[in-house]
Amino acid sequence: MKKSIIFSIALSLGAFSCKTDEFLTVTPETALSSATFFKTESDFIQAVNAAYVPLRALHNGNSHLLAEQHSDNARYVRNVLFGATENQSNLADFNVPTANGITTNGNVLTAYRQNYLIIARTNQVLSLIDAATIPDATKKNVKGQALFLRALAYLEIARYFNRGPLQLTPVSARSEAAAALGTGEQLYAQIIKDATEAISLLPAKSAQEAGRATSGSARALLANVFMIQKKWTDAETQLRAIVTSGEYSLMPNYADAFSTSTGNKNTKESVFEVQYLEGSQGLNGTFLYGMLPYPMAANELVTITGTSNPQPLSGEGNNIPTPDLIEAYETGDKRKDATIGLITLSGALHANKTFPYAKKYAKPHSLHNNHGMNWPIYRYSEVLLFLAEALIEQNKLTEAVPFLNQVRTRAGLANTTAATQSALRDAVYQERRVELAFESKRLHDLVRTGRLATVIKAYGDRVKADKFRYYFPESGFVPSDAFTNITPYYGLPAAEADLSPNF
Amino acid sequence: MQKKFILLEGRGNLCVGIIALLLLVATSSFAQNAIKGKVSAKDGETLVGVNVAIKGTTRGTNTDANGTYKLDVPNGSTLVFSYIGYLTKEVAVGSQATIDVVLDVNDKTLNEIVVVGYGSQVKKEVTGAVQTITAKEIKDLPVSQIAQKLQGQVAGVQINQTTGRPGQGMNVRIRGQLSVSGGSEPLYVVDGFPITGNIGALNPDEIEDISILKDAASTSLYGSRAANGVVLITTKRGKSGQTNVSFNVFTGTQVVPKKGRFEMMDAVEFAQFKKEYYEDAKQPVPAEFQNPSIYEGKNNDWYDAVLRRAPLQSYNLTLTSNKDKVSTSLVAGVFNQEGVVINTKYQRYSLRLNSEYKVSDKVTIGMNIAPQYVFDNTPRTDGDRGTGILFNAIHTWPVMPIYDDKGDLTLFNRFPSSTGNIFAYPNWVRAANELVNETKQTNILSNAYVAYSPIKGLTLKSTFNVELLNQKFFFFNPSTATSAINTAVPVTAVSIRDATDNFGWLNENLATYSKSFNDHNIELLAGYTNQSFRSESSRIQADTYSDDRLPTIQGAINIARGGTSSNVQEWRLTSLLSRLSYNYKGKYLLTASIRRDGSSRFGSNNRWGTFPSLSAGWVVSDEDFMKNFSKVSFAKLRASLGVTGNNNIGNYTQYALINNTVNAVFGNNVAAGAALTSLANPNLGWETTRQLDLGFDLGFLNDRFQFTYDYYLKNTTNLLFAVQIPQESGFTNFNDNIGEIKFWGHEFSLNTRIIDRGKLKWSVNSNISFNRNRVIALADGIDRVYGLHHITKVGEPFGQFYGHLANGVYMNAEDLKNSPVVPGRSFVGTIKLVDVNGDGVITNGGDKDDRTILGNPFPDFTYGITTNLNYGNFDFSVVGSGSQGNQLWVRHLYSTANLDGVFNLHREVKYRFRSEANPGKGFYGTTVGGGTATGIERDWQNSRFVADASFFTIKNITVGYTFNKSNKLFRSARIYASIQQALVFTKYWGGSNPETSAQQNGQGDGGNLSPGVDLFNYPVPRTSTIGVNFNF
Repeated sequence: MKKSIIFSIALSLGAFSCKTDEFLTVTPETALSSATFFKTESDFIQAVNAAYVPLRALHNGNSHLLAEQHSDNARYVRNVLFGATENQSNLADFNVPTANGITTNGNVLTAYRQNYLIIARTNQVLSLIDAATIPDATKKNVKGQALFLRALAYLEIARYFNRGPLQLTPVSARSEAAAALGTGEQLYAQIIKDATEAISLLPAKSAQEAGRATSGSARALLANVFMIQKKWTDAETQLRAIVTSGEYSLMPNYADAFSTSTGNKNTKESVFEVQYLEGSQGLNGTFLYGMLPYPMAANELVTITGTSNPQPLSGEGNNIPTPDLIEAYETGDKRKDATIGLITLSGALHANKTFPYAKKYAKPHSLHNNHGMNWPIYRYSEVLLFLAEALIEQNKLTEAVPFLNQVRTRAGLANTTAATQSALRDAVYQERRVELAFESKRLHDLVRTGRLATVIKAYGDRVKADKFRYYFPESGFVPSDAFTNITPYYGLPAAEADLSPNF
Repeated sequence: MQKKFILLEGRGNLCVGIIALLLLVATSSFAQNAIKGKVSAKDGETLVGVNVAIKGTTRGTNTDANGTYKLDVPNGSTLVFSYIGYLTKEVAVGSQATIDVVLDVNDKTLNEIVVVGYGSQVKKEVTGAVQTITAKEIKDLPVSQIAQKLQGQVAGVQINQTTGRPGQGMNVRIRGQLSVSGGSEPLYVVDGFPITGNIGALNPDEIEDISILKDAASTSLYGSRAANGVVLITTKRGKSGQTNVSFNVFTGTQVVPKKGRFEMMDAVEFAQFKKEYYEDAKQPVPAEFQNPSIYEGKNNDWYDAVLRRAPLQSYNLTLTSNKDKVSTSLVAGVFNQEGVVINTKYQRYSLRLNSEYKVSDKVTIGMNIAPQYVFDNTPRTDGDRGTGILFNAIHTWPVMPIYDDKGDLTLFNRFPSSTGNIFAYPNWVRAANELVNETKQTNILSNAYVAYSPIKGLTLKSTFNVELLNQKFFFFNPSTATSAINTAVPVTAVSIRDATDNFGWLNENLATYSKSFNDHNIELLAGYTNQSFRSESSRIQADTYSDDRLPTIQGAINIARGGTSSNVQEWRLTSLLSRLSYNYKGKYLLTASIRRDGSSRFGSNNRWGTFPSLSAGWVVSDEDFMKNFSKVSFAKLRASLGVTGNNNIGNYTQYALINNTVNAVFGNNVAAGAALTSLANPNLGWETTRQLDLGFDLGFLNDRFQFTYDYYLKNTTNLLFAVQIPQESGFTNFNDNIGEIKFWGHEFSLNTRIIDRGKLKWSVNSNISFNRNRVIALADGIDRVYGLHHITKVGEPFGQFYGHLANGVYMNAEDLKNSPVVPGRSFVGTIKLVDVNGDGVITNGGDKDDRTILGNPFPDFTYGITTNLNYGNFDFSVVGSGSQGNQLWVRHLYSTANLDGVFNLHREVKYRFRSEANPGKGFYGTTVGGGTATGIERDWQNSRFVADASFFTIKNITVGYTFNKSNKLFRSARIYASIQQALVFTKYWGGSNPETSAQQNGQGDGGNLSPGVDLFNYPVPRTSTIGVNFNF
């Protein structure tokens, strides 16, 4: 009997005919898993919505550091009591530490990672949407948005780095994580492919939910690529299609081209803009606070933000308009007042306590460090200036001038007096600088038009000659290695180089 | 009978474990003899409550008040007489009707019963590395947590008190175990129940003894949870035949000694620093600092202001009884501690009722239930600038007033910006007083079991355990205070409410069978267990209150979506286990065990893990040839080998999860968004640790000197590792089992009874342990992973401090010219770093990085010493605990030595470089040049942050006196006085607690990859108490 007892115990313990597997399967209840997602119409809409999200981070302080402060448009206000500001100051001082095509700059890293986050999310959508059984209209619209967003992200990568891993399918295992580096040309080819397909899939602005990508957005993006590649006729085709679509016009007042915290969003002038929402949902922007001179007392801040709960701002101010930019405005240009304000800071370390700031985005809101202003990516005025430029480059000067003047007229300026191709080219460059100031265009324009080295060299000499004028207090100094690294593209981020076998 | 078992197999729902073995109805009859007798000691004393058992069964009885017993015994049985403090005696039952027994006093400890996994063993026969601590040894330590009591007591177990927050912060590591991303805390098993909750809340007075299982042979029966070691806690039981009532009370005061505190400048010194700052920069000195002596007598010690002398009390009533068929123990405790930081309060009300009832000779049922209520309110004391009141207090300018002219607490302080003040400093006394940060926890731990012995030698036992926890957390930050620096008051009032409900159960069905024949002794254990745990929690964050007096949810104008959430965490575990022990004459010992664990945490392709072990022992002293060595009273060699796992890998790590709150905005509308946030890994499993242990135990002079040595070698492979992957993939990491860490070490314990003569007794117990580790492999293509100030690199020990090597300051222009520099940022008087890669330039990160390994947070060795001296009724004891060679990262130096003078400064900054003629001590650099120059010293992590944190702490000193003459009031009583955390001997200069470390997750301060970081946690106070202990 003893034997039988032991035997049966062993048997009972050893047998797993019972529903062990069921008992041991515990799936997460408060998060969905991939097995059940990417099935319904709503799943795909949610998935493409998530691909818009990194745009908020990219333009909430990142793009203006990389493309405005890293140009002759904006500087920092040195606060000598602060260290750990190299990630910003190195951009302004053109001494971003770079070795073997790799940089440790943290802002560069953010731009890289957030753009690839868009790419990964759109890849996920694009890999599954063709096979999905969802209504055709939704399928086209979602796919078009995904293609547009992927193209936009690759455009950022191409403009910042002129190379980058070409990721076109979703990663599902560690071994697939690193893709081979594509050249600038390969990236642009992909962008053109994606944007062209997006144009065919996306509805026009009037037929699309406000704020989402439209066929016009995709055309502007595609035109932008052609402008970079100097394919002027191709650019012209896309730009004319936008102009003749009847979907867009300039806002009568330049200041109204920019949204307030809660209103004036996605106007007739807006071709594509990054959407923010003020409030506690975490969908807000904070970029205005990153574009102010510091240190700023609460009572000074409130004159700009109008919040009821201001906190003083300490640290170092960034994206402060340079004297060069301020001087670039012609007399009578209404855009100057709309773009640049002045504030006097009682706590400034600088003997001159009055600083300019980017008023373009300074719209009143209610919460401290939390606002809902949108960030423009493409405005109709840029479409007009692109078109003018594309025509000028083709020497179709008379066709070009009215588009340029349309922008000038709105700014309260007389028609351009430039008449030659080269004068008109300069006039468009000048117009772009003041029209698009603080819209993260300046660096790209200087690179695209081949003027970076000359313009920045001269600008650097001016900074070194008069540090006080460029917001250094008496005890601050221009770093000895400033303006030693004037290159059209950033190094790829070191943190990613550590992980990728490909660079 | 067999049919009933088959029935069991077929029914799926029985997987959750019905008390199956109860269904057994086995009857077997043997010829019975009624035996009676009397048990006494050698000196004739009657022994009450001696356990009289029939060998190989659970049947037995106890001697009554006259020392007599009666028992029906089958022919041919053996009776086992056991009694605490006496040698166990076995008598074969023949035809006699009366068996009187005289027990010998046990002055050896080797026959003690040791609790091991799923059973108990005679200490002499243990083949694993197990150390047992009895409640008696640690009874006087006036602390709330068990782990505090174990500090310095156990070889191979490093226990650090990382914070003085009441009821918190004990960091227990057995044999140096650590992990890249899994948990490294040992598994705590209370009365057989591996619990999930916080062991810190358990009332130490409920504990009878604690076994610490260190090697794989001892732990492998806990399978996938055993790799970090196992701590078995047995709570109090009724002692045979006795009823004891005791009442223990102690009361005391806690203070933070002035000596050993981190030294900051006082108001005069700070003003002097500021004066020199402007003088050195050749700038006008602000009026506030032109004459530092105006601050004479006006110092504001913000740190001292948030501290206080605080009382604590503990009351415990214990009743144990074991009469007739019922054994009961009841422990009721109240612990009440106010903390040394103002407004800290920790209270615990606990009750435990353990009962066992012998239904018949064959059946025993029992039940333990232990409800508890713990209240904890601690201001936000621990943390950095955002949350740590203590961290912030030391940073606050001592020239800033705590009280205003009217004697009221200031709201916040801010000097004119012309004085270099860039931060608003809230009043931390206000913050400590006004912030609510309370946790209320109710938990119940319970077990119920039935044991059945159908036949001689076989016991079937089914246990059902339940663990319940309900916890509510409430935080309120009124508008008038804040724990964050750089915040002007008033602030936006914020409340956070968390509610957590946990429910866990475990069913175990065990069968043990033991049999002895011709000096061969066999014990077989087999078991089937199921465990399940589920936690549901929610959090609501609300802000913008119209009235600080009503911090209700409805009183808030805004519910903060970002801080509001709900969560469910669940896991399940199914296991099979078996152990076979064999010994011959108790001399040659062999044990093999195996456990199979199926876990919901493991990927679908890798659901089951197998954890075997084998151990052997040889009691050399039982051999004839040892008879010649009469001084050697005991000698045993042990060896064990086994595999264990660590399943602390998160509950859902194997799944690719969709985050459906990645929301977009279009216009002013929120559009729901969803994105994949992790990659699936269906192969994900446990971390595997293979461990070899070789050891021996020696006793000399009748075991007056006992020595134990263990060597271990562990290899942990399949590390749960969130392998960083290029983020071009859209993901940050891939959760994989990859990499390998090797651990090895030596442990020595020496227990001695140096003097044992009549009234005078003196014993000393000591231990020392050496733990080492080395990273053997990480993922392919990845040879390092960074922490916050750390690197974990292949070929090096885990979690090493990392950064630039500091080499003084540039003393003069020539030194600067001839040394490598940071381009644009190095000047005479700034920090000089070592050009590790020799390229002539100092570079931080990237392809020309000059960073290197700077130090080690892990000790060369840890040690403990305990001594007890008794003379008649007097007793005296000291417990010491030490650690040598460990370093800490003085994290707050980043700001307490910020040369720009935006914070108050470490006193040593007085001796900084000021000029070539006045270069100071060469440690801190010049203040001239502002952040461009000073920022390197502060922001580029360097060896100045690394400090030796070796220490020896007298944990406890106790003096007691026992009245053991019975009187009307009590049977015996003892009065004692004790000092806890009496003295700390250390050269550590970064703070008062060399055991400290921040306790964040992952790469954060104090996380797995960033160990040993001093973030200025709650100080560990010195506690002086007096206690009385009555036995009735």
